[in-house]
Amino acid sequence: METLIILLAGFLFACGFFLILRRNITQVLIGVLFLSQAANLAILAVSGLGTGISAIVQNGAASPPSGHADPLPQALILTAIVIGFGVFSFAVVLLKKAFRDLGTDDTDHLNKADF
Amino acid sequence: MEFFLIGLVAIGVGTVIWPYVAKTSAPWAGWLSAVAPAAIFLWLLTQAGPIAKGEIPSWSGQWVPQLNVALSFRLDGLGLLLSLLISGIGFLILIYGGAYLKGSPHAVPFFVYIQLFMLAMLGVASSGHLLVLFIFWELTSLASYLLIGLSHSELKARKAALRALFVTGAGGLALMAGILLLGLAGGSFDLHILQQNGDAVRNSPLYPAIFVLVIFGTFTKSAQVPFHFWLPDAMAAPTPVSAYLHSATMVKAGIFLLAKLFPVLGGTAVWHDTLTLTGAATMLLGAVLALAQTDLKRLLAYSTMSALGTLVMLLGIGTELAVTAAMLFLVVHALYKAPLFMIAGVVDKAAGTRDITQLDGLGCQMPFLAGAAALAAFSMSGIPPFIGFIGKELLYEAEINAGGYAVLVTCLGFAANAINVTVALKVGISPFRHRGRLREINPKARNLTLLIGPILLAVAGTIVGIFPAILGDGLIHAAVRDVTRHEPHVHLKLWHGFNWVLALSAVTVAVGVILYIFRDTVRALARVAVHCFPATASEMFDATLAAIIRLSASITRWIQHGNLRLYVAVVLVCLCGLVIAALASTPWTLAVPGSAVRLVPMGIALLIVVSGITAIQSHSTVMAVLAMGGVGLGVALLFAFFGAPDLALTQLLVEILTLVLCALVFRQLPAIRAISSASERNIDLILSAVAGAAVTIALLAVRSAPALDSGRVSADMAAKSLPEANGMNVVNVILVDFRALDTLGEIAVLAIAGMGVAALLLGSGRRDLRAELAIATPLFRTSVTWLTPLLLFMSVVLLFRGHNEPGGGFTGGLLAASALLLKRLAESDRPLHGNRTPLLLIAGGLSAAAISAVPALFFQKTFMSGFWLEGSVWLPFVGKTKFGTPFLFDVGVYFVVIGVCLLILTRLLRTEEPRKVRVA
Amino acid sequence: MSRFPLYIFLLIPLSAAITLILLQGRAVAQRWVSVSSAALLSATGFLLIETVRASGPVILDAGGWAAPVGIRLQADMLSAMMVTITGIVGFCGALHAIAEVPANEERRGFHAFYQFLLFGVCGAFLTNDIFNLYVWFEVMLLSSFVLIALGGKKAQTEGAVKYVVLNIVASLIFLLGAGMIYATFGTLNFTDIGERIARGEGSQVGTRLSAVFLLLAFSAKAGVFPLYAWLPSSYHTPGHTISAVFAGLLTKVGIYALIRTFTTAFQSEQDFIFPLLLWVSLFTMVTGVLGAASQFHTRRILSFHIISQIGYMTLGLALGTEGALMATIFYVIHHILVKTNLFFAAAAIDRTGGGEDLNHTGGLYRSAPWLAGLFLVSALSLGGIPPLSGFWAKLALIKETLGMGAWIAAGIALAVGLLTLFSMTKIWSEAFWKDRPEDTAPARALHWGHVVPMIILATATLILTFYPTYLLELSQIAARQLFIPARL
Repeated sequence: METLIILLAGFLFACGFFLILRRNITQVLIGVLFLSQAANLAILAVSGLGTGISAIVQNGAASPPSGHADPLPQALILTAIVIGFGVFSFAVVLLKKAFRDLGTDDTDHLNKADF
Repeated sequence: MEFFLIGLVAIGVGTVIWPYVAKTSAPWAGWLSAVAPAAIFLWLLTQAGPIAKGEIPSWSGQWVPQLNVALSFRLDGLGLLLSLLISGIGFLILIYGGAYLKGSPHAVPFFVYIQLFMLAMLGVASSGHLLVLFIFWELTSLASYLLIGLSHSELKARKAALRALFVTGAGGLALMAGILLLGLAGGSFDLHILQQNGDAVRNSPLYPAIFVLVIFGTFTKSAQVPFHFWLPDAMAAPTPVSAYLHSATMVKAGIFLLAKLFPVLGGTAVWHDTLTLTGAATMLLGAVLALAQTDLKRLLAYSTMSALGTLVMLLGIGTELAVTAAMLFLVVHALYKAPLFMIAGVVDKAAGTRDITQLDGLGCQMPFLAGAAALAAFSMSGIPPFIGFIGKELLYEAEINAGGYAVLVTCLGFAANAINVTVALKVGISPFRHRGRLREINPKARNLTLLIGPILLAVAGTIVGIFPAILGDGLIHAAVRDVTRHEPHVHLKLWHGFNWVLALSAVTVAVGVILYIFRDTVRALARVAVHCFPATASEMFDATLAAIIRLSASITRWIQHGNLRLYVAVVLVCLCGLVIAALASTPWTLAVPGSAVRLVPMGIALLIVVSGITAIQSHSTVMAVLAMGGVGLGVALLFAFFGAPDLALTQLLVEILTLVLCALVFRQLPAIRAISSASERNIDLILSAVAGAAVTIALLAVRSAPALDSGRVSADMAAKSLPEANGMNVVNVILVDFRALDTLGEIAVLAIAGMGVAALLLGSGRRDLRAELAIATPLFRTSVTWLTPLLLFMSVVLLFRGHNEPGGGFTGGLLAASALLLKRLAESDRPLHGNRTPLLLIAGGLSAAAISAVPALFFQKTFMSGFWLEGSVWLPFVGKTKFGTPFLFDVGVYFVVIGVCLLILTRLLRTEEPRKVRVA
Repeated sequence: MSRFPLYIFLLIPLSAAITLILLQGRAVAQRWVSVSSAALLSATGFLLIETVRASGPVILDAGGWAAPVGIRLQADMLSAMMVTITGIVGFCGALHAIAEVPANEERRGFHAFYQFLLFGVCGAFLTNDIFNLYVWFEVMLLSSFVLIALGGKKAQTEGAVKYVVLNIVASLIFLLGAGMIYATFGTLNFTDIGERIARGEGSQVGTRLSAVFLLLAFSAKAGVFPLYAWLPSSYHTPGHTISAVFAGLLTKVGIYALIRTFTTAFQSEQDFIFPLLLWVSLFTMVTGVLGAASQFHTRRILSFHIISQIGYMTLGLALGTEGALMATIFYVIHHILVKTNLFFAAAAIDRTGGGEDLNHTGGLYRSAPWLAGLFLVSALSLGGIPPLSGFWAKLALIKETLGMGAWIAAGIALAVGLLTLFSMTKIWSEAFWKDRPEDTAPARALHWGHVVPMIILATATLILTFYPTYLLELSQIAARQLFIPARL
């Protein structure tokens, strides 16, 4: 299963890379989103998927049931999702502003500041 | 030695406080600044005797032990000789400069920089440690840069300053490398030790590198061919500067260092050949170029270059006789060149020109100046009884006994000396001769202070000429001893009897006079010779610099082209390259251990793949956003399937928010259109496929390696979660307790993002989207009235039970935010702006999270430690709940999330008028 | 190990940020809260340095959970120095902000974002946990996104787009690297990773791949060839205060992360990473300085110089000896002081000299000689002119390079120094020496807030000039601590 999920993540990475390589700012943004989904999926898969039992202690027990999923990558991914959301919402608004102020949605035209 | 060092410090202090001194005691400024060098000069004179006997004054202290740099000063014979010149001539220059620059805006900077320079030169002369010497060495370059650029309004001065800095700076860097290697080869940076370890250095495999680097450093400083061009250009500086730096002192630093390192590096064949030939070439070229000049200062500059060549050549010859000649010539040259420069300055001031074809008849008007000029010129011409004569005699003697190169150097030396006589006559005699074209003299030039320096130096040259033992027995003897490192036989005298050398001297003067008589023809011939070269060295330097700048511009334009996608592409290429390099250098397999393949996730995966392909293919924004949602949903479902309910819940809620965000923003952006060409798309497809494959293979390889499923820190977390952290939902416990610091950072990110969005959108847009969306239908309003309290209640339940079951502050907060947002949408009659609630929520949430970290500190526990209330409470819908600081932390998260979501989305409900895309 | 309340470095900027949110709209109060927070940070930083010097690294397990279960904050000498310099630069920046930041940016929350930035930077320097480092990087990054775009000018928005997108990609690679580390070692703590590698745990391929991902991510953040494109396209666009603080601090966080990763955790990967890094460093130096040579705009020149100097710092790391690491650490601190000050000088040149385009500025040598002096101290120090601080940095580095027989590297480093000096004289010659051109914009008066930070930083540079021993000693301790395999 891990192989398949990693392949799936890899596919999402490729899609994300392709989108972020577009000149269109909307597609760049969608690419950013794809990449963070891909990364989250990859982190989950690469540390092992387990059998689908959550890491929640059942009533009366002292620790989660055996064979539970590793909770730490989940916590990391949760943090990453939230951070990704924060970054994405800023990026969306920034690119929208870039379009309004600079009058173009083509990143190739955003090259006045470089040289 | 302390006296000397205190003098140095005094000069340094003088440099710093000078602008103030100049303001308060303007008329006496020049004299005041001359006190320290005068004192140093006198002290040096008292040391001449002991040093001649071999008592070397020295002082050393720690400075930077980590880099083996010790503040060590040693004044041996050679150092004494140079220090005397620097302080003595420096004293006179300061007095001269004060008068020369009176009323000029350059006066204050002149004094600041010239004192800095003097300090640096004295440092070079007295350093006993090579790195300390180097520091002073570079300071002289810097001071020279600032001094050449004194007339900074003129482009010419700025260019000349840059040339000098560039050439001497390049030399300095080479010298630095050379010194560091010398330290490696000789085992120390201490000059005294190095001089004793000369054989070790000469036999070291590093010797060739050291030699090249040191020679490059010294040749640039002492203006040897082909690095000579900066020196004549440096005449852009005011005359006092030229007189001091570019004749008597700074250019001698290179010679000084060569002499200083003679015991360490000298004596080899490569030393002998390189120095002798380069020196001879410089000597001749300088002389020939001098013939072509009409400007007094440039004449002197080229003859200085010739003299520097002579000195290097003598050090190259390297016999005791040659070293003696070099040491004597060092003094002789300073004694005639400095006064001639100063005189040139006065002439310039008096007549308003430095062109010798224009100058005439100044002798009657300024007899003392003319007298000093004549004395210096005779000394330069090598006429007895001036010291120049003795210098020239010794020079010829050294050249005739130069071994293999004797014939060559004697011939070249003869030519250079003859031209020297011509130059001396042109500078020292011609402007003062009366030819009947008297001109008005600028009264400013009739300042007696201006004459002190030239007269004293010219007279000194005469006196030591008549009584050469003053110099020879003490100073020169000691200097030669410290260069050759054995007791020399120095005996200077004016009269050696009739011999070949005397005959040569006489012929030299005669030829020089003839050249002077036919000066116009000779100049024309020299000009023709100069024009044979396609470009002057300065022009070539400028062209090279311009070429470097052009090259750098094109390289930079190539790297920094401004196309974002190509920048990203570079990152991806690096990623692929690094993954390949990593995989190529370690053993790896693709045998992924893992759980059995199941059907449900395969179905979800299919949804994701379809969405992904849609996103790539589609040119419709709506489809792209839908595809994005599809992927988000699919990932959330996978999370749920693989035992990560918290993740699934969060992902789902974030996905909804993201979709709302995109819906609000993307409608203001133009529709997606194909901008790139088909071939670009194909290249991008290949690149992203390769990069995606690289990441995939990397992940698979990591996963395939004997995976460390035991010994993970999460095992400890799962075990400690309930007993020690009072929470059954391990993921939540990690978030609010084990790794609460992550979460603290995370809510900070959220807060920044929310406030950042608000900041970006501040003041933009008046249009209320709610009206446009026509969302506030009665049905919607009614349902929201019911839904909002329900959702808020659910969110609170999620928050409270998060520690034990899926949920928590983050999901709770997202739910609450949606509820409040719906309410805002429904209340389309209430204005959107001017609401501080979201900011207060953010600040309050952050405070709660921060405060939750503190109580433990009062109970001798660590920052952020959980601090729990005794017992637990039973709450409806939630169950038994314990309260403690981690819960407070989660409450903080809850409020930050609500605040941020409200802030972002309510801001986005206000927009500007739509705008058409500009199609290029 | 001694006790020191390391959390104070997080609480100070965080509570300042919260206060500043609440104080929104009251600019004067905001400014002074910001200044005091940074002042407190630097003062506490010096206490930390002395504590570490007296009794070794300080640790603090957040939440009382012993590492590697919990997140450990750890201050060895390197961290202590970096936190302190953050405080110093933060303090100078906060003072400069009083003079420079326009009212509309203050209204948009400039000061709060500024404190969040310091919060993130301090966190990044103190944490001993790879994922926690990721979080701090994001805190720092998002605040820098906002600060760069805050002015709302066209060039700022344009620069910000590149800055944001390229940094998001780099962050993503970082995140993947962190995930791989956990998958390989089952831990996230730097020291623990190092120990586990030493014990032979964790696969070779996993180790190498995670090292490579982190190398790529941190190199991009540090501005290393060929990943630095975001830097020259954005650093010259924001307000002067922000340019200065970014120029001083942000790329150094990347350098710090590289040092930390490849000493504390992945010491075993040095043989693979460092030869690569060596060549990359040389390219960074050269392309950076060529970029600077081609520009004729103060802040663009200075921005390209950051890159070039980053090359020197990574070179020291790549040499892999204790002495070279000491040189790198010294270089980092020196460069932070000098570079920040040069950007402050650029601000002053902009105001009094009529702009940033060197063609249209001039005459400052006469009209502002004190500025000329302050500029010269920093510019010459950057150019490595002895005995200014830059010389000691260069000397330490070149000495080590030559000592190791890396002739090419030493030669390039020296040649690049010459071009650096050339660019500095370009600014000097055009803005200071040249007469003021006719078409120059009128000079605007300087506020004390422009001047005081420059004096502070120039003084610090001069102290390093004449008394480099203190910092060298600290750097030596820091380098030594990094070379001893730490224990959890």
